[in-house]
Amino acid sequence: METFVQTLVSGILIGGLYAIIGIGMTLIMGVLNIINLAHGQILMLSMYITWVLWTYFGIDPYIAIFITIPIVFFIAEGISKFLLHPLMGKDSILPENQVLMTVGIGMVLVELARVIFSSDYKSVQTSYTNKSWYLGTISFNTPLTIAFIISIIMTVGLFLFLTKTDTGRSVRATAQDKSAAALMGISTGKITVLTYGLGSALDAAAGSLLLPIYYLYPDVGPLFTVKAFVITILGGLGSTVGAIFGGLILGLAETFGATYISMGYRDAIGLIIFLLVLVFFPGGLKRFTKV
Amino acid sequence: MKKYLLLEKREWIILGGAALAPWIFGFSPYFQGLLILVLMWVVLGNSWNLLAGYTGQVSFGHAAFFGIGAYAAAIPYHHFKISPWWGLLTGGLAAVILGYFLGKLVFRLRGPYFALGTLASGEILRLLFGEEEWLTNGHNGILYMTTFISKIPYYYLILFIAMGSLVAVKVIMKSKLGFYFLSIREDQEAAEALGIDTTKYKNIALAISSFFAGLAGAFYMIYMGFVDPEVVFALHNISILTILVGIIGGVGTIWGPAVGALIMVFIQELFRSSFFGVGPQWVSQLHSLVFGALVVVMILYLAGGVVGDWDIIRKKFGKKRVEGQG
Amino acid sequence: MKRIIAISFALFMLLNLIGCAKDDNSSIKIGVLLPLTGAMAKFGEMEKNSFELARIEINAAGGVKGRDLVFVYEDDTGKPDVGRMGMEKLITVDKVPMITGGYSSSVTFAAAQVAQKYRVPFLVNTGSVDKITEPESFDLKISDADKFYIYRLNPPVSEYASGLEGFLKNLASVETAIIFHENTTFGTNGAKAFAISCERLGIEVFEIDSYTEGTVDFKPLLLKVKEQKPDLVYMISYVMDAALLMKQSKELRLSPKLFVGAGAGYTMPAYRENAGIASEKTISATLWHQSLPVPGATDYYNAYIAKYDDKSPPDYHGVEAYAAAYVVKDAIERAQDFKSASIKTALDGTDMMTAFGPVKFIAYDAKINQNKMETYVVQWINGNLELIWPKHLAKVEAVYPIDWNAEWK
Repeated sequence: METFVQTLVSGILIGGLYAIIGIGMTLIMGVLNIINLAHGQILMLSMYITWVLWTYFGIDPYIAIFITIPIVFFIAEGISKFLLHPLMGKDSILPENQVLMTVGIGMVLVELARVIFSSDYKSVQTSYTNKSWYLGTISFNTPLTIAFIISIIMTVGLFLFLTKTDTGRSVRATAQDKSAAALMGISTGKITVLTYGLGSALDAAAGSLLLPIYYLYPDVGPLFTVKAFVITILGGLGSTVGAIFGGLILGLAETFGATYISMGYRDAIGLIIFLLVLVFFPGGLKRFTKV
Repeated sequence: MKKYLLLEKREWIILGGAALAPWIFGFSPYFQGLLILVLMWVVLGNSWNLLAGYTGQVSFGHAAFFGIGAYAAAIPYHHFKISPWWGLLTGGLAAVILGYFLGKLVFRLRGPYFALGTLASGEILRLLFGEEEWLTNGHNGILYMTTFISKIPYYYLILFIAMGSLVAVKVIMKSKLGFYFLSIREDQEAAEALGIDTTKYKNIALAISSFFAGLAGAFYMIYMGFVDPEVVFALHNISILTILVGIIGGVGTIWGPAVGALIMVFIQELFRSSFFGVGPQWVSQLHSLVFGALVVVMILYLAGGVVGDWDIIRKKFGKKRVEGQG
Repeated sequence: MKRIIAISFALFMLLNLIGCAKDDNSSIKIGVLLPLTGAMAKFGEMEKNSFELARIEINAAGGVKGRDLVFVYEDDTGKPDVGRMGMEKLITVDKVPMITGGYSSSVTFAAAQVAQKYRVPFLVNTGSVDKITEPESFDLKISDADKFYIYRLNPPVSEYASGLEGFLKNLASVETAIIFHENTTFGTNGAKAFAISCERLGIEVFEIDSYTEGTVDFKPLLLKVKEQKPDLVYMISYVMDAALLMKQSKELRLSPKLFVGAGAGYTMPAYRENAGIASEKTISATLWHQSLPVPGATDYYNAYIAKYDDKSPPDYHGVEAYAAAYVVKDAIERAQDFKSASIKTALDGTDMMTAFGPVKFIAYDAKINQNKMETYVVQWINGNLELIWPKHLAKVEAVYPIDWNAEWK
C-alpha cells in the first residue's frame, strides 16, 4: 500500500513537470501544425541559461525563471520569424520542411552548447536540492513539489490568457481553423510567430524548474522532446487542458510501469501509449475536454 | 540521351570513377573507410528517398529497418556462429517483414502523424533490443571478428549495393509503379479517386525502401563487426541523419541522396579532423555545428537540395548553361 | 560539380600526405583512446590528466630510449562505433605502434577487436568486462598467447568485489541484498559477478534490476528496497546516476544496513559534489587508494592535486592511467625496436612495480595477458574517501552500523 501511494505521488509530481513541457509543445503543434523537434533543445537552452545565472551570478533557479522566459521568448521569436515563418508559403516537395528545419535548429543549438560548455555534466547545488518533506511515511521531493505548484500556476495563467484576452482567443481560433481565423481578420502570421515564442517560453520555465531536480548536458533535450509529443498526442493537439492530463497520465503510466512491470521499459511505456492513441484514438483526450 | 544498360553515359563515368576511387589517393585505408561510409549513406538515403521523396511518406524511423537488418546478420552469429555474411540475404528480408507489420500500423496515419508514428516505432525497437538480452545480448552488443583487414572487398560490396539501389530507384521511377508513387505524393485523395490502390502502393514503396535499409544494416554488421542497439537504432545518428542526407542532396531526385551522402560525410570529417590535421584543434569541435547550420541554410534557401536546385546554384555562381538534372 | 569534387579530393589527398610526412626520430607516438567528451568525460579527463602527468615526468627524466614520449589522444565519446573508428585512425593515420587507454567496457571491447585485427598491442587500463582478455571472444584459443595483442592492467569486473567479499564476510549481520545496475556491458556483468559473490557469502539476493543511464526518477526502483528491506543495496552506476540514486534514497528514507557502490561512479569526487550529504557513509569497491603501501601511490596523489585541481583528487581511474604510461615506457625500453611486434614481446615480459601496484601479465582461467591484483573497500567518511579494508592496511575504522537518520539530517 505504501509503495502504491508513493508511486502515485511520484507519478503525479513528475507528471506536473511533464505537463508544462507538453503545454508548450501542444500550443506550437496546434497553431503551427508542425512537430517541433527542437522543443527539447529549447529546454536545454533554458537550463544552460539557468545554470549560468546560478553559477556565475548566484541567482536562484526559481528567480531565474523570470530571466529565462523573456530571453528564450525572444530567441524563439527570432527562430520563428526568420527560420520557420518564411517556409510557410514556400513551395516544396515535402510539406514536412518546417519539421526538418526544427531538426536543423535543434542540431545547431546542441552543438553550440557543446562548443561553449563542453559535453560535461553540470548541475546546481542549492540549499533545497536535497530536501524533501513528508506526509506520514510518504515523501515529497521539495524541488519537484515547487515545480508542480509553479506548473499549475502557469497553466492557470495560460488558460486565462487563452480564454479571456483577445490575443489568446486569436491563438485558439488560429489553432482551430487557420483560414477561418484569417477571414475573421486575425493576422495568422503574427499569431504563429507569437505562439512559437509563447510555447518556447513555457518550455523555458520547465527548464529552470527541471535543473534543481536533474542535471544538464548538451544532449539532454531529445528525452524531453519525445515526452512532449507523447503528451501532445495524448491530450489532443492544441488542448491545454488535454496536455495537463496528458502529462499526468504519462507520469503515472511511466512510474507505475517502472514499479510494477520493469524499470528498463520505463521510456518505452510512453511511446507505446502514444502509438496506440495515435492509431486507435486519434484526437486524444481533446475528444472529452473540447478545450 | 543514349543509354547503355539502364544507365546514361555520364552515370557510367561516375561509376567507373567510383570503382577506381580507392586505388588513387595513396591507397589510404582511412580514406577508403570514408568512401565506404559515403556509399553506406547512399544506400540509406536512396531507401528513404523512395519512400519519402517519391511517395511522400516521410519516415522518421528508418533506423528501425537499418537496425533490424544489422541484427538479422548478428543474431544468428551470436547464437549459432552462423557467419554474418548470410545477413546479405536475410537482412533485407527481415526489414521487409518488419516493414509489412509496421506499415499496417503507421499507414493509417498521414503527414506529421506518420512522421511521429515511424519515429516512435524506431524508438520502441531500440528499447526492445536493449532490454531483451536473451535474444540480442542487450547492451553488450554483438561482436564479430571481421573477415578482411583490407577495406577493398567491403568497398566493392557496398559500391555494388549502392549502385543496385540507384538503378532500382531509377528503373522504378521510370515505370508505372513510379507514376503511382508520385501520384500518392502529390495528392492521395486524387490518386484514390483515380482508382489507384494507395495502401497497396504505399506498402510496395515501403517494402523496397526497407529492403535496402535492411541491406545497409547487414553490411554495417559485416563491415564494422559490431552492433549495439544504441548505435544501429539511433534516432539522431541514423533516422534523422538519413533524412538530412536526402534533404541536402535533393528530395525526390535520383542522384540527390548520393550527393547528400558525399557532402555529409566529407563536411563532417573535414571539420572533425580539423581540416585533416592542418587546422587548429578547436575546429574539430565544430563538425556537427557546421553540418547543422548547413541544413538550416539549405532548407531556407535551397529546399530542393543540391541536385534539385542545381539550376539555381548554377545561376547564382554566374553560369549561363542550364541543364536538366540527370 | 565534378570539378568541385575532383578539386576537393585532390586537396584532401595532398593534406593527407602532409599529415603522413611528418615522421621524425626525436619522438615516439603512442595512441590513447579515452572518452574526452560525453557522459564519461569526467573519467576521461582524470585519466588524460594522469597520462600527461606521467608523460611530463618521463620526458623530464630523459624520455624513452632518448626519444620524447608523445601521447596521441583520440576521443571515443563513450560510443563503441566511434571508439572503433578512433582506433583505426590511430593505427592507420597516426601509425602508432601501441595503444593504451580504453575506459568504458563496451567501447574498449569493441575497439580491442580493431587492435587485434591490425596486430597492434593494446594495453587496456580501465575497461573491465571479463571478455576483453578472454581470447575466445576474439576467435582465438587460450594457447594463442603469441597471437593475442590485448593486455590489461586492471582486474576484470568479476574480481572488483573480491575485496568487498572479505569485508562482508566479517559482517555476519548482512544476509540479504538487492542489486541495481545500469543496463550496459559493465553494469550487467558486474551485477552477475556480484550475485555469484553473494552466493559464496550466503547472502540471499532478492532482486537484480536494471535501469537506463540518464533516468530522471529512480523512485520506482528504490521503492523495492523500501518494500523488501534488504540488508545491502549494491549499485553499479556512473557518476550522475550514482548521485541521483543516493539523493533519492535519502529522500525515501531508505535504511538498509549498507549502500555499496561497485567502484566507477561511487569513488569519484564528482559523486560527492553532486550527491552532497547523501553520499556520506556509502561504501564502494575500489582498485586502489592513495594510502596503500605501494611505492609512488602517495606521490602520484599529491602531484596530481598540485598540478590540477585540489578540489577533485584522483581515484583509482587516474592511477590506472598513470601506471599504464609507465608500463608503456618500460615495454618500449625493453623492446628491440619501435615496431608493434617487438613491443608485444616486451609486454609479455613485463614484471614491474607501479603506483597502482605490481604489474605482470599472466594467464589464468579463460584469460591471458591479464594482470591479477587485489581489490579494496573504501567509505566516504566526513567527505573524504577513506580506505577501510583490508584491515591491516586501513588507517581508518569503518563506520558500521550506520544510522542513516543521523547522517542525513
